[in-house]
Amino acid sequence: MPTITIDGKNYQAEEQENLLSVCLTAGINLPYFCWHPAMGSVGACRQCAVIEYKNTDDKHGRLVMSCMTQVREGGIYSVDATRARQFRGGIIENLMTNHPHDCPVCEEGGECHLQDMTEMSGHTMRRFRGRKRTHRNQYLGPFINHEMNRCIACYRCTRFYRDYAGGTDLQPLARNNQVYFGRHEDGLLENGFSGNLVEVCPTGVFTDKTFSKHFVRKWDLQSAPSVCEHCAVGCNTAPGARAPGNGKDPILRRVVNLYNRDINGYFLCDRGRFGYDYVNSEKRIKNVLVACEKNIISSTAAPGERIHGEIHPEPAVKHLARHLAEVQQGRRRLIGIGSPRSSLENNFALRELVGKNNFFSGLSARDLQLLQLVDRTQRDARIHCPTTPEIESADAILILGEDIDNTAPRVALAVRQAARNRQKRQAQQLQIPLWQDASVRQLRVEASPIFFIGLEKPRLADITSATLLGTPEQTALFADSIAQLILGDDTGARKLAPDCRAQVEQVANTLRQAENPLIISGCGSRSSDIIHCAGKIAATLADTSSSPCSLYLACPEVNSLGLTQFFPAGEGDLEQLAHTLEIHSGTPCTLIVLENDLYRRADRHTVERIFNSADAVILIDTLLNNTARHADLIFPAAATAESQGTYINSQGTAQRFYAVCEGASYIQESWRWLVDAANFCKQKSPQLATIAAWRHSMDLSEALAANFHQFEVLEKIGPDENYRLNGLKIARQSHRYSGRTALGAKAQVAELPPHPDPDAPMTFSMEGIQSPAMTPLSAHIWSPGWNSNQSIIKFQQEINGHRLGVRGSVPIRRQPQPLPEWQLAASVPAKTSKTLTAVPLYRLFGSGELSVGAAAIASVTDIPFAQISREDAQRLDVTAGDIGQLQLGGESHTVEIRISDAQPPGTVGVPSGLPGLETLAALLPAPAQLERRSDREPGETP
Amino acid sequence: MIASQLRSMWLVFRHLFRRNATVQYPEEKPYLAPRYRGRIVLTRDPDGEERCVACNLCAAACPPDCIALQKTEDEDGRWRPAWFRINFSRCIMCGLCEDACPTYAIQLTPDFEMCEYDRQNMVYEKEDLLISGPGKYHDYSFYRIAGKAVAGKKKGEAEQESKPVEIKSLNL
Repeated sequence: MPTITIDGKNYQAEEQENLLSVCLTAGINLPYFCWHPAMGSVGACRQCAVIEYKNTDDKHGRLVMSCMTQVREGGIYSVDATRARQFRGGIIENLMTNHPHDCPVCEEGGECHLQDMTEMSGHTMRRFRGRKRTHRNQYLGPFINHEMNRCIACYRCTRFYRDYAGGTDLQPLARNNQVYFGRHEDGLLENGFSGNLVEVCPTGVFTDKTFSKHFVRKWDLQSAPSVCEHCAVGCNTAPGARAPGNGKDPILRRVVNLYNRDINGYFLCDRGRFGYDYVNSEKRIKNVLVACEKNIISSTAAPGERIHGEIHPEPAVKHLARHLAEVQQGRRRLIGIGSPRSSLENNFALRELVGKNNFFSGLSARDLQLLQLVDRTQRDARIHCPTTPEIESADAILILGEDIDNTAPRVALAVRQAARNRQKRQAQQLQIPLWQDASVRQLRVEASPIFFIGLEKPRLADITSATLLGTPEQTALFADSIAQLILGDDTGARKLAPDCRAQVEQVANTLRQAENPLIISGCGSRSSDIIHCAGKIAATLADTSSSPCSLYLACPEVNSLGLTQFFPAGEGDLEQLAHTLEIHSGTPCTLIVLENDLYRRADRHTVERIFNSADAVILIDTLLNNTARHADLIFPAAATAESQGTYINSQGTAQRFYAVCEGASYIQESWRWLVDAANFCKQKSPQLATIAAWRHSMDLSEALAANFHQFEVLEKIGPDENYRLNGLKIARQSHRYSGRTALGAKAQVAELPPHPDPDAPMTFSMEGIQSPAMTPLSAHIWSPGWNSNQSIIKFQQEINGHRLGVRGSVPIRRQPQPLPEWQLAASVPAKTSKTLTAVPLYRLFGSGELSVGAAAIASVTDIPFAQISREDAQRLDVTAGDIGQLQLGGESHTVEIRISDAQPPGTVGVPSGLPGLETLAALLPAPAQLERRSDREPGETP
Repeated sequence: MIASQLRSMWLVFRHLFRRNATVQYPEEKPYLAPRYRGRIVLTRDPDGEERCVACNLCAAACPPDCIALQKTEDEDGRWRPAWFRINFSRCIMCGLCEDACPTYAIQLTPDFEMCEYDRQNMVYEKEDLLISGPGKYHDYSFYRIAGKAVAGKKKGEAEQESKPVEIKSLNL
């Protein structure tokens, strides 16, 4: 470790580190623009200049760019030297000559790195009297606003967008003083990580358009650590909320990234960043709804559907309590249906209320089996669930049948970084430090081996060494022969077509030779064979190298793996529920559906069987959906940002999220509705008395820890509500939070005390600990002089290290179990002339159930479509753009026909969960028929 | 002792012949300088448009936190407060909001006569605050200087701005 001297003080620096990182780690405020902790240095902005002295006799020294200077043993530097300060002041003055001076009307104002650095460099008055260079803006879609005049040409945006995220449609255009960062023409930024430009851009060129619609300054947002609920990666987020001052504005205003080294680092995908707006959607359930006894005109509602009206919560909860009382007297059955998108606490509360045997997963048998297989595979001692930095350092990656670009986007971004590992190794051999970003990227080295075997050509295709496209069955076949080849057995491979065989052999050889191979698969193909194969390959690789092999299995939803822990193999699916309900049809039955739309989970027939056998359906949910149409009573459930709980992500990591704000109107956590009902019961069984005694979210976490050995870690991942730091709670609001005595003054001029938080040691006010350095529970990332999110470097143990303080995410402890015995069954593809196999396709915008409720995401979501191969199109006599009728599982849907060369013949790709086709999600893969619609009326759109 | 009392009586007696300092308020109003810090108003720019751009700086500067507002963006591209509220029952007339305002929108006026029987009436909304004139600063218009394009002022038309760069030309 070299010892260096900065302004007369000695510091220990990491070997080969650049001086800027060392200064920032040491807490020295040194301005910079183009350097980014995840992207290294390019020395473009000249802002981080310092003086380097030859030796102690050298009194003059020379100016160097600290981000481009490697520290050397005994190096003497000065950040404070007048010459360095003047130089930095001059640079910022030059950068500001063209600045439009529109901070008051800039969304970045108050969290702007340019503002911070200008202040830091001491430039206050504009001396330049010339004219400002100006640019026209572009329309970049519904997510990102473009204001090009604010640009300081640091190149961070294109370095992130093109080099880091693999986008192609954002470019530096024109030259010298006129350089322009934009697209070749107006249009939506295509890359699924475009939202990060908002945080990457040090000024206000790229700002969050959805946030701007209900904009408030950063200091006016209250925040708490949360977890993104839009996929199973479990990225950490810091949602920002502010109470409306007119009763109409939304409470939740935006989502920004919250650094977690092991999961999301500095970046979120666009679904996670912009999907928050579902909370403010028109479909949001805010009050208790009850089915009205009015007649419904049959043309507007299907049989069995109800219309609802608002009621006060008290009679509704009493109604539920009456059902609970009848259950205790044995006059009624109570069935609970859980949800993979609800927290462990909510699912557990329902399970305790209805009893273990009456609790069902709310998933079809196929989905639950897939998840149980994922769980079982991860339990094998030879399998290791990799963190994001581990994915980034893998030297060979095989992606099996999982469209991670759309089902686990943050993992795809990590895979993209792994493609550079050979380049990085070459750089190390040439003694080029890895932070020398431009130099390392210039090295002409073959990309690290990344193989994709799956259905649809991935966005990652530009970095994959080989892409094998095929049906899920073919994928399993390829994967199985790879597993065999690793063991030296080529019987499987010999059956493949020669070109496939060569590729399969290449994959097997590369994986066998890799030091740090990684297999990625998941539930996306809805094929257990593929997961079995992935497990088999990983286990075989682990056997040959005698160390655990990394295997990332992507789950479909935020708490899928958590929900799975409640059910032993072969129990708890919806088909089973339909069956049991029909057997015990004698006693009346109340069905409590927890945050779940059953029509997305199982086929219509099974769901209708369930609804027909239940004589009361009670739904607790956030958004109105198809299930809500059949509910007798609907309770409003809190969204993730409004509640506290725990999610288990695909890696098996338990993460606690905290309420950022209180839900509007009568919204509260689902478990609280159940506890309220239990409290209204006069006679309480011991079980009901336990439930009625729950007051805090942590009571449930503790009960979970006591009941399930997997969840013992839940007690450790965050303090309970009695925790105090220096005798204080942690403040959700910043110390600059404004309008405290005016915000609610229209309704009532007397100030009311802030809402108490019964669940977390946090306040819904400015009172308490506000420093993110003191506790990771503080999500308001701010440091004096560092108002932007760049201040996160102040709260890391070292640059790119863990966040200071106790980590809030811990892997759950599962009993180790070896992989199940399994052999790939020879598949016999049954084909009739007109039958195709419908296979699921995934879309970043559209496949997420909640995120499509966000207005901006809904505006870019595709229309219902079905994708077929060119061969099938000829056979069916359809052309691209035709309107077709898709027959699947007894349902018929109007779709636009699309033709793709990559679509395997004999299959039809159906977008999973896309609005309009959401009921098909549970059926895929399944035989389907597609034909051109002949009865299309003029002017009709699909 | 006696001397002191006599001196006091003499002083009081002398005051009988002094001019009255008390003004017959409210019939007679004292002179207040134009920069007196009294009731707060929101002003308009010389073109008659609202000056407030809802930047929130006044709210951030306000020591008793008695200002709250919500930004909205109109079709003309201008930022405006959708609502703007000052709780005068909390206001301490310190004038920091005026200092903080980058557009001269918020100004304090020489009016302090704000008495209400009901405290709720001390809560002023935008329609109560907005006046039709420019207040103390007659000529200033934020959007003429700042680079943001609004209706009637395209890119490159603000003060000290050159014409927008044509990206696709050679720009030699």
